[in-house]
Amino acid sequence: MKKINSNSSILDSKSRRVFLKQIVSGGATALMIYTSGVRGGHETSRIWKQRSTEHHWAYIIDVGKCIGWGGCVRACQKENNVPEGNFRTWVERYVVTEDGVYVDSPKGGAQGFEPVNAGLKEKAKRAYFVPKMCNHCENPPCVQVCPVGATYKSPEGFVMVDHDYCLGCAYCVQACPYAARFINHEINKSDKCTWCHHRVKQGKLPACVEACPTRARKFGDLKDPESEVSQILQEGVWTVLQPAMHTGPSCFYIGLPKEVI
Amino acid sequence: MQNPSAKTHLYRMGALFIVFIVAFLAIKEWATPSSWNYEVWYRGAALIEDANKPMLYGGNDSCKTCHEEVVKETKKLKHKKLSCEGCHGPLGTHVRGEEKIADAEVINQSRWQCLNCHAELISKPPDFPQFTDEVDKHTTIEEGEGCLKCHDAHDPTP
Amino acid sequence: MHDLPNNALVNFIFPNNEEVWWSLMIVIYPYLTGLIAGAFVVSALYHVLNLKQFKPIANFALVAAFCFGLFAAMPLLVHLGQPQRAYEIYFTPHLTSAMSIFGYIYSGYLVLLMLEIWLIYRKHFIYKANNTTGIQQRIWYLLTLGVTTYHPDSAPLDRKLTRILAGIGIPWAILLHGYVGFVFGSVKAISWWATALQPIIFLASAVVSGIAILILMYTFIHWRHRVSPDYAMIKKLATILWAAFLFDWGLEMLELVHVWYQDAHEWSVIQPLILGPLYDSYVWGQIIWLSVVPVFLLGYAVLYAGNGKSMFFIVNVGSFLLLSQVLFMRFNVVIGGQLISKSARGFVDFHWDIFGKEGLLTATILFAAPFITYYVISRFIPIFEFDKADRDHS
Repeated sequence: MKKINSNSSILDSKSRRVFLKQIVSGGATALMIYTSGVRGGHETSRIWKQRSTEHHWAYIIDVGKCIGWGGCVRACQKENNVPEGNFRTWVERYVVTEDGVYVDSPKGGAQGFEPVNAGLKEKAKRAYFVPKMCNHCENPPCVQVCPVGATYKSPEGFVMVDHDYCLGCAYCVQACPYAARFINHEINKSDKCTWCHHRVKQGKLPACVEACPTRARKFGDLKDPESEVSQILQEGVWTVLQPAMHTGPSCFYIGLPKEVI
Repeated sequence: MQNPSAKTHLYRMGALFIVFIVAFLAIKEWATPSSWNYEVWYRGAALIEDANKPMLYGGNDSCKTCHEEVVKETKKLKHKKLSCEGCHGPLGTHVRGEEKIADAEVINQSRWQCLNCHAELISKPPDFPQFTDEVDKHTTIEEGEGCLKCHDAHDPTP
Repeated sequence: MHDLPNNALVNFIFPNNEEVWWSLMIVIYPYLTGLIAGAFVVSALYHVLNLKQFKPIANFALVAAFCFGLFAAMPLLVHLGQPQRAYEIYFTPHLTSAMSIFGYIYSGYLVLLMLEIWLIYRKHFIYKANNTTGIQQRIWYLLTLGVTTYHPDSAPLDRKLTRILAGIGIPWAILLHGYVGFVFGSVKAISWWATALQPIIFLASAVVSGIAILILMYTFIHWRHRVSPDYAMIKKLATILWAAFLFDWGLEMLELVHVWYQDAHEWSVIQPLILGPLYDSYVWGQIIWLSVVPVFLLGYAVLYAGNGKSMFFIVNVGSFLLLSQVLFMRFNVVIGGQLISKSARGFVDFHWDIFGKEGLLTATILFAAPFITYYVISRFIPIFEFDKADRDHS
């Protein structure tokens, strides 16, 4: 009968091999997990490689404050030469009823909104406006799919388009889950909201934030703990659009109702 | 060609390949933008070029430079939080460099200018001042006249 | 009026969703690359697998593949907003993007095709270089790379190289067309596109379209030259076509059943899509008329219709239906996916253009070009046994 050796020590050659195998495979797994970026519960990114230590910009939209004026859309159009029919930012109007959700965005909300018909108004349970724009995602699918490197995530977090390099293939337009990108029909290249990068770098706010009369749109630096955006995000009651897409948006919504996609 | 070997054509094709590949690599080297960032994969100069683009809007602080008195006054009034340029137009159409190039008066003086924000819409926040009937009750204004006949744009309280 | 998804009361599309950005040109492009891949597979039946009954069409398939290949990039160039910058894909391909490999994979593949054709037709080039004069002679001379005597020992060498190239060509063709499927299948933002099966579906339908077009071209060429077709070979080819299509269609249906069964967010927008804007072209067109019917037709042809004219006729009808099926499939996938607004609450209208860069006329011209090129090439090199291109009878 085979004796069971209950005293097999770690120095026994077979168990040493098993032990070493476990160390190696465990180490390899740990290395894989570490390099794939699953650490500390953060959304990580294959795309955002060079990160600035000075600034990390964020945008906050307070849904409850938007009055659907549309001046933000107009300001953006003027500041950035956005052609008619293309939208770097827009405002959507929602009217929620028992029977379903009414959503519209006439001309992106640029000229404000006309009243809804009386029937719809009567049935309304909730109604509100939702401003939208490029979310400057941490893991932007648009940057991932650009075949030549004409769109990129800058170290400070801006997702930008290089108009001197873009082919106008529109793959990035397809890849964006938020329809934030478009082909600018005047220049035949891909285009989108840049969070007014040129303004921010010169010490100002994006044109839409500047225009907003009710502070529904806010912009600031998360590296500054005193900034309004940092303080709001600290409270932890925010959400993003289409979280299941795992794009890691940098536009955070306060008070976003559940039916907004 | 006198007496080519069985492989001559292959050698020549091979040589053609090498020439082409060398030429291609040389062109590639020359044509790739020199500021190309190989880690992030973009033309590095693009970010700098964008940062230097001219701005159109100045923000309320930019109005102070020339209109300090007016800005100080409006800061005490109802509409103090609004962007001046929202009604008066962007800085860039009014000033270039240090010179005024055009007036910054509000072009649209119709009701729409006010009602764009203040007309009653169900989707607006309930605590935001919205008007419907009151506007129509204004029997003293005629067709074509705006709210500005009686209300001050900077301080519209009746 | 069709149902709207996600409780929408009115058709709501995002403001930037008004346009279908990838239109007819991006329907034609995978169609053409599919024909390349399919035709190449047929030529590999002889060149790699040594199936002797396909020897008579091996070179035909290769030259056809080359003709399709010459024009495959055209729809892309026409579609680009900045086609003059197309070279960037060679200098800074962004490897996180499936599309970035197009430049090298496509050009490399064209080179492979040219090499293979060159090795196969070298003897003919030499013959022509020695038996013509003037400009023609100069061109033939260039094609021989200056080697104007055919060394007999080079034949087995060339043959071996051809086999190697054909062997490399199969996975390369898979990559050339498979990457297109991945370009679509990896876009998580578009529910109708996003499936892991997309590359395989594209590839399988590519093989189907390639075989089908070759059968139709073969029939037409033999009819024009009044030469009797090789019925036995066509029947075998039709069997392969039928099997390939069963596999392809099986995958397409599997994908549909899968997304229906999961009943997740994707189904909420796909169901109203296929019962609404895509009902005619997908349910009636692609599935019923162009999939179910040819499955039965081809099955009947290869199993019961004998070995003669009637089998041949039914095979051609079936091939034409399948060629159309693949075109419909490309249309339904490319355009259909963009009809679903990313708002998930509405559908976008698609407008047909006749003229303009995404117009029907442009698409027709680009689709006709490979056939015209094939005709021109066939005047200079012998492709079939009966070709009169001044063959070397020595």
